[in-house]
Amino acid sequence: MTTTTDSQTPVAVDPNLVTVTIDGIETAVPKGTLIIRAAEEIGIAIPRFCDHPLLKPVGACRQCLVDVAMPDREGNVRPMPKPQPSCAMEVSPGMVVHTQKTSAVAAKAQHGVMELLLINHPLDCPTCDKGGECPLQNQALSDGRATSRFTDVKRTFAKPLKISTQILLDRERCILCQRCTRFSKEIAGDQFIDLQKRGASQQIGRFDEDVLGFAPLGDATVGPAAEDESGRAFASYWSGNTVQICPVGALTSAAYRFRSRPFDLVSTEAVAEHDANGSAIRIDHRRGTVMRRLAGDDPVVNEEWISDKDRFAFHWQTAPDRLTHPLVRDRAEDGTRGELRTASWAEALEVAATALAAARDAGGVGVLPGGRLTIEDAYAYGKLARTALGTNDIDHRARPASAEEESFLGHAVAGHGIDVTFGDLEKAPAVLLVGFEPEEEGGIVFLRLRKGTQAGRTRVWSLAPFATRGLERLDGTLVPTAPGLESEVVDALATGTDEPSLAALREALGAQGALVLVGERLASVPGSLSAVLRLTAATGARLAWIPRRIGERAGVEMGTLPGLLPGGRPVSDAAARVDIAAAWDVTELPTAPGRDTDGILAALAARELRGVVVGGVELGDLTDPVAARAALEAADVVVSLEVRASEVTDLADVVLPVAPPAEKSGSYLNWEGRVRAFRQALESHALPDHRVLDELARHLGTDLGARDGNVLRKEIDQLGAWDGERVAAPATEAVAPAAVAPGTAVLASWHLQLDAGRGQDGEPFLAGTARKAVARLSAATAEAAGVADGGVLRVSTGAGRIELPAVVTDMPDHVVWLPTNSPGSAVRAALGVLPGAVVQITAGTVTTTEEA
Amino acid sequence: MTSLTPILTRSWGDETPWKLESYEKAGGYEGLKKALGQSQADLVQLVKDSGLRGRGGAGFPTGMKWGFLPAPDGGPRYLVVNADESEPGTCKDIPLMMADPHLLVEGVAITSYAIGSHHAFIYIRGEVVHVYRRLLKAVADAYAAGHLGKNIHGSGFDLDVTVHAGAGAYICGEETALLDSLEGRRGQPRLKPPFPAVAGLYARPTVVNNVESIASVPAIVRGGADWFTSMGTERSTGHGIFSLSGHVTRPGQYEAPLGITLRELLEMAGGIREGHELKFWTPGGSSTPIFTAEHLDVPLDYESVGAAGSMLGTRALQIFDETTSVVRAVSRWTDFYAHESCGKCTPCREGTYWLKQILHRLEHGKGEAGDIEKLVDICDNILGRAFCALGDGATSSITSAVQLFREEFEAGMTQPASELFPPERSALFDYTPRRSAGAAAGAVHA
Amino acid sequence: MTENPKKPGPIAEMLAPVAGFGVTFANLFRPVVTEQYPFEKVPTKPRYHGRHQLNRYPDGLEKCIGCELCAWACPADAIYVEGGDNADLPEGAHVSPGERYGRVYQINYLRCIFCGLCIEACPTRALTMTNDYELAGPTREGMIFEKDDLLAPLREGMLAGPHPMVEGTEDLEYYRGEITGPTQAQVDWVRERRPDDASLDAAAKATVAAPDANGGTR
Repeated sequence: MTTTTDSQTPVAVDPNLVTVTIDGIETAVPKGTLIIRAAEEIGIAIPRFCDHPLLKPVGACRQCLVDVAMPDREGNVRPMPKPQPSCAMEVSPGMVVHTQKTSAVAAKAQHGVMELLLINHPLDCPTCDKGGECPLQNQALSDGRATSRFTDVKRTFAKPLKISTQILLDRERCILCQRCTRFSKEIAGDQFIDLQKRGASQQIGRFDEDVLGFAPLGDATVGPAAEDESGRAFASYWSGNTVQICPVGALTSAAYRFRSRPFDLVSTEAVAEHDANGSAIRIDHRRGTVMRRLAGDDPVVNEEWISDKDRFAFHWQTAPDRLTHPLVRDRAEDGTRGELRTASWAEALEVAATALAAARDAGGVGVLPGGRLTIEDAYAYGKLARTALGTNDIDHRARPASAEEESFLGHAVAGHGIDVTFGDLEKAPAVLLVGFEPEEEGGIVFLRLRKGTQAGRTRVWSLAPFATRGLERLDGTLVPTAPGLESEVVDALATGTDEPSLAALREALGAQGALVLVGERLASVPGSLSAVLRLTAATGARLAWIPRRIGERAGVEMGTLPGLLPGGRPVSDAAARVDIAAAWDVTELPTAPGRDTDGILAALAARELRGVVVGGVELGDLTDPVAARAALEAADVVVSLEVRASEVTDLADVVLPVAPPAEKSGSYLNWEGRVRAFRQALESHALPDHRVLDELARHLGTDLGARDGNVLRKEIDQLGAWDGERVAAPATEAVAPAAVAPGTAVLASWHLQLDAGRGQDGEPFLAGTARKAVARLSAATAEAAGVADGGVLRVSTGAGRIELPAVVTDMPDHVVWLPTNSPGSAVRAALGVLPGAVVQITAGTVTTTEEA
Repeated sequence: MTSLTPILTRSWGDETPWKLESYEKAGGYEGLKKALGQSQADLVQLVKDSGLRGRGGAGFPTGMKWGFLPAPDGGPRYLVVNADESEPGTCKDIPLMMADPHLLVEGVAITSYAIGSHHAFIYIRGEVVHVYRRLLKAVADAYAAGHLGKNIHGSGFDLDVTVHAGAGAYICGEETALLDSLEGRRGQPRLKPPFPAVAGLYARPTVVNNVESIASVPAIVRGGADWFTSMGTERSTGHGIFSLSGHVTRPGQYEAPLGITLRELLEMAGGIREGHELKFWTPGGSSTPIFTAEHLDVPLDYESVGAAGSMLGTRALQIFDETTSVVRAVSRWTDFYAHESCGKCTPCREGTYWLKQILHRLEHGKGEAGDIEKLVDICDNILGRAFCALGDGATSSITSAVQLFREEFEAGMTQPASELFPPERSALFDYTPRRSAGAAAGAVHA
Repeated sequence: MTENPKKPGPIAEMLAPVAGFGVTFANLFRPVVTEQYPFEKVPTKPRYHGRHQLNRYPDGLEKCIGCELCAWACPADAIYVEGGDNADLPEGAHVSPGERYGRVYQINYLRCIFCGLCIEACPTRALTMTNDYELAGPTREGMIFEKDDLLAPLREGMLAGPHPMVEGTEDLEYYRGEITGPTQAQVDWVRERRPDDASLDAAAKATVAAPDANGGTR
């Protein structure tokens, strides 16, 4: 059939729009749109398997074949001789497409491909986890033949292959669409799995000699897929996404295997709690139990991906040590603590309120809300502290923090609303990372940066002691920086330098859209945040502060810092205080300068403060866990609001159980400043923090008005951001680095994404994909310490020691890196020091055992 | 009456034709010297005028392919010679490189100069180690003699040639799969567009040509376009190597102008083997629909063979006499395609797997009702649906054989091919029957 | 009938007042159909939809694979199933052949309407219906039948699970009916671990050879 376009009047006016006709419906779509997407836009579904909107087209499965006709040079619309893959072909002006709905050829082609896909697909549907939500199942019914003509022998493989502790591969079910390998290669950059063999024997896999049946050739030429230092292949932080995008049940997760069926699941849209991104997730639950979590689709935040931690780590919410009832501890006359006993809410609140009131009047009460709160909870904590408890002694930073950081947050973060966004990350021409490892500490931030670098738009520089695997996958440039010297290097960049690599970086940061991303770790490097502000002022680069925890930004905005009131209002500003006092209907707010986390703990130990309200705080996360414990022991009253029993519980006088995220509604504030509201997924008697605080305040004689989260949100919205003077920028001097004597090294450390954190409790399969804890040091440093690569290194201080396998790394000499909180490496608890401190390094004595 | 026209095969009978001195003595590298004196555009135009069409099977005009390269942007561009000759029945590039490797090297040098490439790659099939070695030696000799390297013959033109051995995959003869393989990746065809001329090797403009096409260039430069077009037909100009194999008296490579018929070629080759008659033959290798005695007088040029329902392909004429079972022959070819399918796309990967099982059944006389229709319909579901031409090629012998010899397939419902056509009768050598154990098993094991 | 059918004849008119007893009198002389349940229990028709049963393979392994298709098919939402992974069982034991087994299986007979759609849905013929219709109980909880209540009793010669599958076989051999009884290896396995198992002796007498691994075509 040939028609001329002469008679048609061009509809498209926008030069970037292309007019095409699909199944007789004319539509205009942007240039470069794939046929399959253009068809979707007008509601025509073309079956597909290999196609995924966030992956590059591959055209491998051939399920989406359609009939295409295009105008030739004379304008005659000529049909193409063969049906074309609509997932790989872009629209062109005047194109006429006939899908399976209007073309017998396309329908026959699709039926044919579907039949071929099914000939080697096992009849596993009853046992397969994907059954009921399987694109192959669905499309076989909608676009396949009713019966199979295949009477021959199916290809069989041994049933599931473990490609990691979490991910299982059933090769029989695989239709080789390559979504998983393309995700691993294009998105995550963890190419641990790939196609191998060919023809009907082609399969996905790691390069496993046992599976492939190759004779071992030694390690010289071939070997298993590149392994990371964990010694495990496919130890990717993103592997769960391959399970979700697999269009059949070939990839399944050990955690969800055979656990339920899609039709028993109730789904609730939610927000992940494990990092500061607030990724959209879907919680699938059955009879009040969360069965699995999937990535939600939020183009402005996490697109369709989430980290394995966000996906698999949810059992912590229902761990056996979950607190279900209020607990009260009776003290003897001399103050020695008795046993905790179950109490009624009324009693527990009364006991807590009485003791807190006494402590408040005797010296004061500090508040440590922890860094994982929703906006509502954080606001309630701040209001409780400043009204019922009458103090500015509140700090949500359950980690090393500093006054410099507080000024920085008050100056450059609080009240700024949404500034740098995820979208900016992938478009930025230059990104400088200071004290921030995007993959370990930033989650989705890493994928967005990688998207930019993969597209050739973005270049990444990192100030760090060594290039991590994450930085390598960002094609990033390392600016080797020993811990503690960040401020010096940043200042050199700010003031200009002759050093060519730094000069290039400085120039790059001057480009429109350049970004500086700083992490929470900089709080422990004096002068660094001040220097970063000077750098952004000097170069014009935009600044984003990306903490690790979901509640950090909410805390900053809601005023759970000693010097900040909600909306970035400085406590020191009388007008700001009046503002808030009026809103809260109190006569005045406390004016005395507040203490930060370390200050509160020190004051408790010194008995300047007599009581403390503690939220979700792990003592091991604090600067000095030992001192923190002593401080809580010294307190007259410790009131703990927790989901699960913790070290604080052991010291608490009153324990008030609160709801985990799945059992409450609320709004997180992610690092961008974007409100991430979520609904309650599970029915529960557990109360959110703000309700418990409201009750507590009522018993203290104050009405927080925090009973209802929606009312609270309205109050917060009415307050708005502060339009007055902000907190002054910090101008802290850098501290000269400590001298390194022989046998010592400067400690570098950060958290790994999967570590010994309590949020990952109860997830053995997930833990198996974590990177193994190792100590990193340079060849020269290792030699000086008498440790060979792979040998055991002992890192010690006066407080204790850590022994880990040493990995010789290209990094500055006299520096040793340890993971902050991984199995066998609890730096703060064991060594009692922070990065930048000098530690002793020697050869270890024990041989390490394999960390499970 | 067309006769032999040895041009590419001219020196094959000589003493040590592969040596540089033999080649130079016979006027070798004169074409290069002449070409270096011409402008690049003139050379491209010359090849366009000659009407030289790709000898690798598809017959795409070589000059036009060169002309598709975008204007130089200062970055590298590459010439890649496809010497991964693996098609069943095709045997022309390997003997050419064996006998006269310098002809190819000279062609590479001229072509590289014409398209502005300073690095050419010859991707040779890895199994032919002796040819690989000979080619390596020829390239080394050419470097030493100044035919390759820096400032070739004082022209200021630099050229490096890399000879790369493949690892034994038929699919790597597909140009984009070849490029992936050359880059060190898994050899699987790429999505087109972008075509290699725009983004080929290392995502740079690349020309991929067959050995025979490139080896034809020096003679065109020396003899001119008119000389070349004086041979062959109007649209299929020049000469080509015809590889005759199978039941012929003297199998081998016969170089002749395009447009020669099989009847003429058979006369040169001494006819079908004594006492037998032609049953069927492939005009262009196993990927082309088969012909029968009816087609003896079809001129072997692109247009005539196409009009007769097949393809000229690589001019691999496999001749089968009446002792051969079509079912058996097609079944063997299908085994080959099932083994060589790269696995990327569904129709080829799964389709060949299925075809193979049905054909084995028919070959063993265990066909089921409806098998022939099923066979043809599966072929229809593969042809034009697969990612690259491998899938299409796998079906053409089956569909054409069912069309021409349906009764043999029908006999496969009841009678094994080995009874109808005892293999020892068609064997050209002493035949020892292979044990039939597991012959029907199609299972692929992990 | 040429007369107006509406007009009865004189005799009919005369008997009309007692005509209603005709049915009664006629039935006085017919056999009694009243069933003296529960004193006499009358067998049902062979395909009567009664209580469900979860069947076993001849070696004693369960047929149920926990696929939940019965639960999906159930229009009354009377079935609740949770799957389990045979790989999680110790020492290679299996509850059912293959990878998956039914860990939790409940039918709520307060909801069941005995329509049989679950039986149609079952891909392994694990779920069938018996003719047992005596389904009543004093408590609501008691009407939720657990897997133990529903499992078919071990027939003579069956070996109580969990135990390994017949050596050298996969679930396919079970589906095809190639397993005809427990093998010596299975009996030995159970004897070693559960020497007091009640089904051991009978099973030991009924052992069969494992089907030839190469005999069947896959």
